[in-house]
Amino acid sequence: MAHFLTQRLARALLVLFGVSLLVFILIDLAPGEYFQEMRLNPQISRETVAALRTQYGLDQPLPVRYGRWLRSVSRGELGFSFAYNSPVWPLLKRRIGNTLILTITSLVCSWLIAIPIGIRMADRAGRWPDRISGIGVTFLQATPDVLIALGLLALALRVRWLPTGGMHAPDFSETEGLGGVKDLVLHLVLPVLALTAGMLPVLVRHVRSAMLEVLDAPFIAAARGHGIRRYRLLLGYALPAAANPLISMFGISVGALLSASLLIEVIMSWPGVGPMLLEAILQRDPYIVVAVVLFSTLFLVAGSLLGDVFLYIADPRIRVE
Amino acid sequence: MRFRLAHALLVVTLLPVTALGDSPVRQAVRPEEDILVMPGAIGQPGGRLVASLHTDPKTLNPVTVVDLPSKEVIALLSADLIHINLYTQRTEPALAKSWNVSPDGKRYTLEMRKGILFSDGHPFDADDVVFSFKVYLDDKVHSPQRDLLQVGGKPIQVRKLGPYRVVFDLPAPYAAAERLFDSVSILPRHLLEHAYEEGTISKAWGLATPPAEIAGLGPFRFKQYLPGQQIVLERNPFYWKADARKNRLPYLDEVAFLVVPTEDAEVIRFQAGDVDVIKVNPENYSALEGNQHARDYSLYDLGAGFEYDFLFFNLNDLSAKQLPEIGRKQEWFRRTEFRQAVSAAIDREAIVRLVYQGRATPLWDQVTPANKLWINPAIQQPLRSLERAAALLRTAGFSRGADGTLVDVHGSPVEFSILTNPSNTQRTKIATIIQDDLGQLGIKVHVVPLEFQAIMTRVFDSYDYEASILGLVSGDADPNPEINVWTSGGGTHLWAQTETRPLAPWQTEVDALMQRQTTVLDYRKRKQIYDRVQELVATYDPVICVVSPNILVGAKNSLAGLKPSVMRNYLLWDAEQLFWRRETVGRRQAVGPSSH
Amino acid sequence: MMRNKKIWFAAMPLALVHILVLGARFFAPYDPAQQHRDAPFAPPMRIHFLDARGKFHLRPYVCARLNQTTSTGSPRYAEDCSHVWPLRFLVSQEAGVFGAAPGTTWHFLAVDAPGQVFLLGTDDYGRDQLSRLLHGGQVSLFAGLLATGLSLGLAMVLGGAAGYFGSWLDDGIMRVAEVFMALPWIYLLFALRAFLPLNVGARQSFFLLVSVIGLAGWARPSRLVRGVVLSAKQRDFVRAARGFGASSVYILRRHVLPETYAVVLTQAALLISQCILAEVTLSFLGLGVGEPVPSWGNMLAALQKYYVLENYWWMLVSGLVLVPIFILYHLLADALQARIKPSGSPEMSSLTPQRLRVAI
Repeated sequence: MAHFLTQRLARALLVLFGVSLLVFILIDLAPGEYFQEMRLNPQISRETVAALRTQYGLDQPLPVRYGRWLRSVSRGELGFSFAYNSPVWPLLKRRIGNTLILTITSLVCSWLIAIPIGIRMADRAGRWPDRISGIGVTFLQATPDVLIALGLLALALRVRWLPTGGMHAPDFSETEGLGGVKDLVLHLVLPVLALTAGMLPVLVRHVRSAMLEVLDAPFIAAARGHGIRRYRLLLGYALPAAANPLISMFGISVGALLSASLLIEVIMSWPGVGPMLLEAILQRDPYIVVAVVLFSTLFLVAGSLLGDVFLYIADPRIRVE
Repeated sequence: MRFRLAHALLVVTLLPVTALGDSPVRQAVRPEEDILVMPGAIGQPGGRLVASLHTDPKTLNPVTVVDLPSKEVIALLSADLIHINLYTQRTEPALAKSWNVSPDGKRYTLEMRKGILFSDGHPFDADDVVFSFKVYLDDKVHSPQRDLLQVGGKPIQVRKLGPYRVVFDLPAPYAAAERLFDSVSILPRHLLEHAYEEGTISKAWGLATPPAEIAGLGPFRFKQYLPGQQIVLERNPFYWKADARKNRLPYLDEVAFLVVPTEDAEVIRFQAGDVDVIKVNPENYSALEGNQHARDYSLYDLGAGFEYDFLFFNLNDLSAKQLPEIGRKQEWFRRTEFRQAVSAAIDREAIVRLVYQGRATPLWDQVTPANKLWINPAIQQPLRSLERAAALLRTAGFSRGADGTLVDVHGSPVEFSILTNPSNTQRTKIATIIQDDLGQLGIKVHVVPLEFQAIMTRVFDSYDYEASILGLVSGDADPNPEINVWTSGGGTHLWAQTETRPLAPWQTEVDALMQRQTTVLDYRKRKQIYDRVQELVATYDPVICVVSPNILVGAKNSLAGLKPSVMRNYLLWDAEQLFWRRETVGRRQAVGPSSH
Repeated sequence: MMRNKKIWFAAMPLALVHILVLGARFFAPYDPAQQHRDAPFAPPMRIHFLDARGKFHLRPYVCARLNQTTSTGSPRYAEDCSHVWPLRFLVSQEAGVFGAAPGTTWHFLAVDAPGQVFLLGTDDYGRDQLSRLLHGGQVSLFAGLLATGLSLGLAMVLGGAAGYFGSWLDDGIMRVAEVFMALPWIYLLFALRAFLPLNVGARQSFFLLVSVIGLAGWARPSRLVRGVVLSAKQRDFVRAARGFGASSVYILRRHVLPETYAVVLTQAALLISQCILAEVTLSFLGLGVGEPVPSWGNMLAALQKYYVLENYWWMLVSGLVLVPIFILYHLLADALQARIKPSGSPEMSSLTPQRLRVAI
C-alpha cells in the first residue's frame, strides 16, 4: 500500500511539472500579453508600456521566466500577478477554499442523487420509470450549463427567499457563528443545483449501465433464486460488484466538476478561482493562470488517487495480486 | 435636527478606525476649515449604497492604477486639485480654492484650502501636493499618470511657494491646462514618503493593506475587502465639503461594491434589490423596463455617451512585413472613394434599431452629441444610399461582374475580413449587419471573431489584418486627449501605426490643426480649429464612424440627489451628495440585515 | 427480433432528422443568412386552420404581422388577420418571387410575396429561425458525429494500446491523458485561432471545429477503454489465443476490442451530446463557423442571456430540438449495446477477472 501510494505521488509530481511547463509554453504561443491592452489607451505612451514590460521581466526569454517562476514557487509565492501587483499565493488562498466548498458539496450531492436514480433505472430497465427518468436526464443533458445557471437565477429572482448570487450576504460579518453557516448554505443552494444538474446525466447513465451489466450476471440470478429481497439485492449485492467502473467514474467526475464549477462561479458570482482564472486568461496575467491550472491538476490527481485508494479498500480482488 | 444635536454633544476627537464596526461619528464643521460648500439638495445622513463591479479592483494605489474597477473605487477615496464637473463639463475648484495664471500662460499658482485633514486626521498642506506630483512625474516609477502631465512632450514642473501655495510651470502654454489636474489624486505624504524613498511605492496600497495605512482626501475611506465578493468603503469623517446648511458631506455612511462578473447576473441582482445602481446595455434595459414599478427602481436613458464605434481598414505600410495578400487589398483601402462608398452603404439606422433597440446615435465623425461644447453641427449626415456608394466605386475603377460580385481594375473580386471581439456582442452584430450591407454592393465580407488580445497584437504589432471594428471612449470632452488618435505617429493612430509622417494632404492638415489647438487659449478659436478636424474626418474617412451607444443607467427610486452623467462614473461621480430619502434611512443602515 | 425492433425504433426518427437537415435547402422556407430588417425578434406565427368565422380551411394560412415597435425599446408585434397568406407546399420558385435566395428551384414551404412565414420566429437580425435550425443542423449534427468518431477512434487505439501492452506505454499514455484533461482549453484555443489565416472558409472552419473537439475529447473514454482492456486481457479465451500464437494485433482486433464496445457505445451517445454542446463554447470563442452560417451552437450561444429568457422565449426552441435527438441517440446506443453482447461468455461480462488491475 505504501509503495503504491509513493509511486502514485511521484507520478503526480511529474504530471504537475509537465502541466506547468506546457501552460507556460501555451501562454507564450497565445497572442498578446498583459501590457498590450494599455496600448489602446490614448493617454499612456509607448515608452511607459515598454518600461513596465522590462520592469516585470516580460522581455526575458522563456527559460529565464520559467526558472524565476520555479524559484518563486519554492518561496511559496507561486509567481507574481501583474494586475494585482502582488504574489499569487495570497490571492489564491481564500479563493481555492471557496471553490473547494462548492465543488466538494456538489460532488457529494450529485453522487448521492445519481446512484439511487441510476439503480432504479437499471432495475426497471425498459419500463416507464426508466423511460421517464431517461427523458428527464436527457433534458438536463441538452441544456447548456450557462442556461441552467441563468434559469436558476431568474427563478431565484421570482421566489425571493433564495439569494441571487455571491457567497455571503452583503453585510456579512466574519465573526458570526451559526447564522453564518445558514447564510452560506442558502448561498450554496443555487450553484450546487446548477453543477449537479450538469453532472447528473453523465453519472446517472454510468450508474445505470454498470448496474445493468451486473444485473445480467448469474450470481444475481442465483441470489434472486435464494429469495433475497429486491433492495438488499440491489444495494448489497449488485452495487458493490458494479463499484469498479463507478469508482473510476468518480475520479473522472472530480475533474469534470472542477471545470464546470469555473463557469458556474462566474455566472453566479461565487468568489472562487473561476472568475479570477477567466480574467487572468483574458488579460494575459500568466502566473495566475499557471497557478490555477496547477491547483486544478492537483485536485484531479488527488481525485483519481482517492479513487484508487477506495478501489483498493473496497475491492478485495485487487489486493490478491 | 435632533440627530445632529446628539452628535454635536460628543467630544470631537480623532476616533481610531476599526476594521469592522459602526460608522465614524459625524464631525461638525470647524471654523478654521476651508470648507467647500456644494450647491444642491439638502439630504439626510445615513445609509449604505451598493454598486457593482465586473471584476475585483486590483489596487488602491493611485500611482499605478490602470484598470477601471480600481479607478472607480479610488475616485471615491481621493481628491484632486481642480475637478471637472461631469454635469457641466467645466472645471471647478476642488482642493485648490483659487488659482491665477501668468500672462504667458505657462505658470499656474494654486492656493490650497487650509485646515483640511486627511481621512486619518492628519493635516493636509502644500507638501502633500508637491510630494504627489514628484511621485507621478518620477520616470523610475513609471506611473501611467506621468504621460498625462506632459505638455509638448516635456513634463510640468512643480514647486512649493508657501505652506498652502504651489506653483506649476508648464513648458509651453496649454489651452486645457486646468483639466490636467482632474483625477490626479493627492497622496498623503506622511504615509507614502517612506515607501517612495525605498523605491517600493509601486507595491504600496495593495488590497491586503490594513485600512489604517491608507488615507485620502476623498468622501470615503477604505474599510474592508473580501476577495471575489465586495469592497466596502466608509464615510470620511473629515471630508472637506459641506452642503448649503453646513452639514458635512457625504450623507451616506457606507458604499459597497459587489463583484458581479456578468452583466446578466448584475441585472438579476439589481432587480432583487442587492444592488442599488446599475449601468446596462440596451437589451437588458428593455428587459428591466417592465418591472420598474413592481421593484421600485427607475431607468434613465441619458442619451449619447462619449464612445464612438468605428470600422477601420489597415492602412499601414507593409513593406517590412510578409503580407502580400493584404498589401494587394490595401490598393482598395487606400482609395478615399472606396472608404466613402463603404460609409455610404452602411445602414446606420438599421444598426441603431436592431443592435441598440433605438438607443444609440448614428455617427459620421468622432464627436458625439454628448459633447455639446465641441460638436460641429454642420457635419453632413447623409442617409444611406447604395446608388451613391455604387457611383463612388465606379469612379474608383470598380465594376460589377456578371454574377454581381464587385471587381477591381485588375478584375479580382473585392473580398476582405473584419475582425471583431466576440465578447462585445454589439460590435459583432454591427459587423454582421455591415457584412450584409456590403454584400448588396457585391463585396464579400468575412466576420472573423478574435479574442481581444489577438486583435491588439494584429493592430499594434503584426499588422496582419484587413479591417476591424473597435470603439474608443473620449476620457474628456476636450479634444486634447484625442491627439494620439488623429495625429500621425500617435500611439493610438490605430489604422496607420507606421505612419510617422503624414502621407495624405488632409492628414497633414489634421496634424497641424491638432497641434495648434493645444496652444490656442481662446475657446472659440479652438472650436473653429476642431470643427475643421471633424470635417476632415467625416469627409476622408480615415475611420468610418458608425454609432455611439446611449448611456443607460438605473437606480432605486429612494436614492436621491442623482446627477447622472454620460461619463464615468455615471452615477457615483457625485456620491458625496447622494442620500436615501427619509423613509428608507432606517431600513438601509450601514450594518444590519440587508433589505431583500 | 426484439432487439432489432428497438434498433429500428431509435434509428428511423434519427434518420428522418438527418434527412431533414441534409435537405435543408429544400425544406427551409428562407435562406438562413437573409435578414428581414423590418422584423427582428418576431414571435412564431400561428398556423390557422379555422378562420375568424369558424370556417375550416384545408390549406392553412398565416396572418400578416403588424409592427408596433416604438422608436426605442424591444420589438413588439401583433397579428393582423385582415391580410392572410395561405401556405403553399412544394413550390417551384424563380429567384426573387418569394424573397428567398436566388438560384433555388424547389421549396417545401413558402408563401406568396410580400408575405412572410416565420414558423419559429426570427432572431435579432430578422433571420427565420426555422431555416436556421434546419441549416444549422448540418454543421452541428455532422460535426458532432465526426468529432465523436475521432475521439472514440483515438480512445480505442490509445486506450487499447495502453491497457494491452502495459508498462511504460501505459504510463506514458495515461499521463498524457491526465495532462489533456487538466489543461485549460480556452488558452489552447486562443493560441490556435491566432495561427489561423484570417479568411478561413466555412468548410475549413467546420473541419477545424471537428478536429478540435475530437482531439480534446479522447482522454476520458480512453481511460475507460483501458480499464476494460486490462480486465479483458486476463480472460481465458485471450490467453488461449495467445497460446495458439496469435499476434497482438489479431488478439486486439478480434477478442479484446469487442469487449469494449459496450463502454464505447455508452460513451458514444454521451460524447455526441457533449460535442454538440462543446460547439456552443467554441462559437463563443470564435472557433465555430463564422457569421452568417448558422449552427445550433451559435444559435444556443445567443440564447444564453437574461433578456432572451425574459422577452424572447421562443428562441429556446433551438435548444429544445436537441432533447429528442439526444434521447434517440441514447436509445440507439442502448439497443446496439443489447445486440452486441460479449460473445457467449458464461461468466459475468467484464467484471470478474482473476486479476483485476486498477481500472482507472
